[in-house]
Amino acid sequence: MATQSASIPSTAPSLGLAALLIRLRALVALFIVLVFFSTLAPNFLSIGSLLIMAKHIAIIAMLGIGMTYVILTGGIDLSVGSIAGLSGMVAGALILHGLTIVPLGLVIYPSVPMVVLIAVLLGGLIGLANGTLVTRLGVAPFIATLGMLYVARGAALLLSDGATFPNLVGSPDYGNQGFPWLGAGRMLGVPVPVLIVLMLALAAAFVAARTPFGRYVYAVGGNARAALLSGVRVGGVTRAVYVISGMCAGLVGLLVASDLVSAHPASGQTFELSAIAAVVLGGASLAGGRGTIGGTMVGACVIGTLGDGMVMMGVSEFWQMVIKGTVIVAAVVFDQLQARFGGRES
Amino acid sequence: MNPRRFRILLVAGALIAVLAALWLFAGPAARHSKLMVVITPSLDNPFFGQEAIGAEERARALGYSTLKFSHGDDAYKQSELVDTAIARNAAAIILDNAGADASLAAVLRARAAGVPVFLIDREISSRGAAAVQIVSNNYQGATLGAQAFAEALGERGPYLELVGRESDTNAIIRSRGYHDVLAQYPDLKMVSRQSANWDQAQAFTVTQSVLQAHPEIRGVIAGNDTMALGAVAALESAGRADVVVVGFDGSNDARDAIIAGKMRATVLQPAKRQAQFAVDLADRFLRTGSTGQREKLLMDCFLIDRGNAAQLKDFALAPTPASPRTS
Repeated sequence: MATQSASIPSTAPSLGLAALLIRLRALVALFIVLVFFSTLAPNFLSIGSLLIMAKHIAIIAMLGIGMTYVILTGGIDLSVGSIAGLSGMVAGALILHGLTIVPLGLVIYPSVPMVVLIAVLLGGLIGLANGTLVTRLGVAPFIATLGMLYVARGAALLLSDGATFPNLVGSPDYGNQGFPWLGAGRMLGVPVPVLIVLMLALAAAFVAARTPFGRYVYAVGGNARAALLSGVRVGGVTRAVYVISGMCAGLVGLLVASDLVSAHPASGQTFELSAIAAVVLGGASLAGGRGTIGGTMVGACVIGTLGDGMVMMGVSEFWQMVIKGTVIVAAVVFDQLQARFGGRES
Repeated sequence: MNPRRFRILLVAGALIAVLAALWLFAGPAARHSKLMVVITPSLDNPFFGQEAIGAEERARALGYSTLKFSHGDDAYKQSELVDTAIARNAAAIILDNAGADASLAAVLRARAAGVPVFLIDREISSRGAAAVQIVSNNYQGATLGAQAFAEALGERGPYLELVGRESDTNAIIRSRGYHDVLAQYPDLKMVSRQSANWDQAQAFTVTQSVLQAHPEIRGVIAGNDTMALGAVAALESAGRADVVVVGFDGSNDARDAIIAGKMRATVLQPAKRQAQFAVDLADRFLRTGSTGQREKLLMDCFLIDRGNAAQLKDFALAPTPASPRTS
């Protein structure tokens, strides 16, 4: 699925097979998970179920892409799940009730592309608020985004007073049909969210590895002071990564609401944890400066297939939680082992 | 190509080869599996737990294998679980859904994939999507509870109402059932009406605050047993054994409180019977292509008070061999 994106920066001249396997641990973990479930869970490897899993993975991966940038700078974004919930609610409100321009007494029903744009920009704006809190006001990222987690979730609930926006199919009278295609549609048999996340991942991987901005992100996370002294605009770069994360979350909210053809204010709860887990499984360091988009994609595949596979196998819900937690911690333990024995990159 | 990159490619290639081999051999399983997937809001809440157990037992007895999951009232999680059930070629889905509006897309998706959905406990807002919707007659049950409440209070006095989550249809219907009965008694006065979101801890704090503002209350009528028990705890800590408490659901905890004299009555929703009935209808549907019933089916509730509390277990009334004909 995402094997092609596991790019490894070329460093250490020679590695033994064991060290190599540790280096590729996310990929190896994915392989083990796939083999395990394909022998134990009926239908696991059918095209239909792989496509369904890909769709679930796409949601985690999309949040993971934004989260990777934030974590690369040494920050964290706990608000993505709530931003996703709010973005879905805003899209729902725009489609059902339109946008009221108070002084003119006008109600405008934006077309679906406009709705998408508004919701994604809103996510970016909330991200900017996070970034500003972190850089200008010196609030720790954990606290700033934890606060935003509550604020955005509360705002989502306020929008509808806790109710669901149902039946978001739009109406020919307002010219805003087509919303369900985004999350539930398919192109050439592939779910649209999967295509979107693949394009996003390629773009994000390119930006991280090949552009000055990408290098600044790594520099800020590696050593913010050194980066500052060498002329990197640390504040600007940090704000930008939170904006990226917020926009990814906005997009996820749209996809979820579109898939359900309705927007529920509690949507997206605990999404942030899956996203962080995917990034960490993909080999990023929470201290910043180390990690790749490709790694995150593989990490998202591990989390997604693990979750769906256990459901298909009929593993008890309570065990599922235990197993997921163990896998995440094990990934970090391997990370430490690699740091100690395998020679650390960058 | 340098040797390092070569080795990485070799490893990756080996992994892909093994997967491809597995894919060829473990390919698609037979259609028309005899699998029923049971999805409820949670497995650790006794009401939903008994639903799941009731459905599972009946399905096994009819020769089906089962998988049971919970969606935690999260519509997206529910949608994922429905997807998974489709991927597993489930024969049918028994579902206590995550929201009247937010569940429609998932139900329709299952139907489009040829997996009929049998709804229990909560209905969805549109007709024609699910094979059947089996719902407790919440209104009828609420009138039973309210009648017992009014009688216990001697048809007079100030009272508090604890309402469930306001986005939940069942909360609204139960409250309406209560008020349609209680409004007939002019001396019964509702001094406060609060939502405690079905939650025991919230009911506890809300009741405590209301007791501060209105120490004169003589009754608490709650939209479910969990909130009723929260109220009981608050009344106990305030030393108010004189206040009448009535709940809804028929949980084992409420039964024990009724036997101990802390609660007056509750209303039993036959959770287990609903789930079993849904499985029976699913089985009939799979064999004959029709459930032979209307889409929406209401099941009556029963009043539980000191007289019959002892027979209540796991959301079902045990048949009483001793004295079936008590008036």
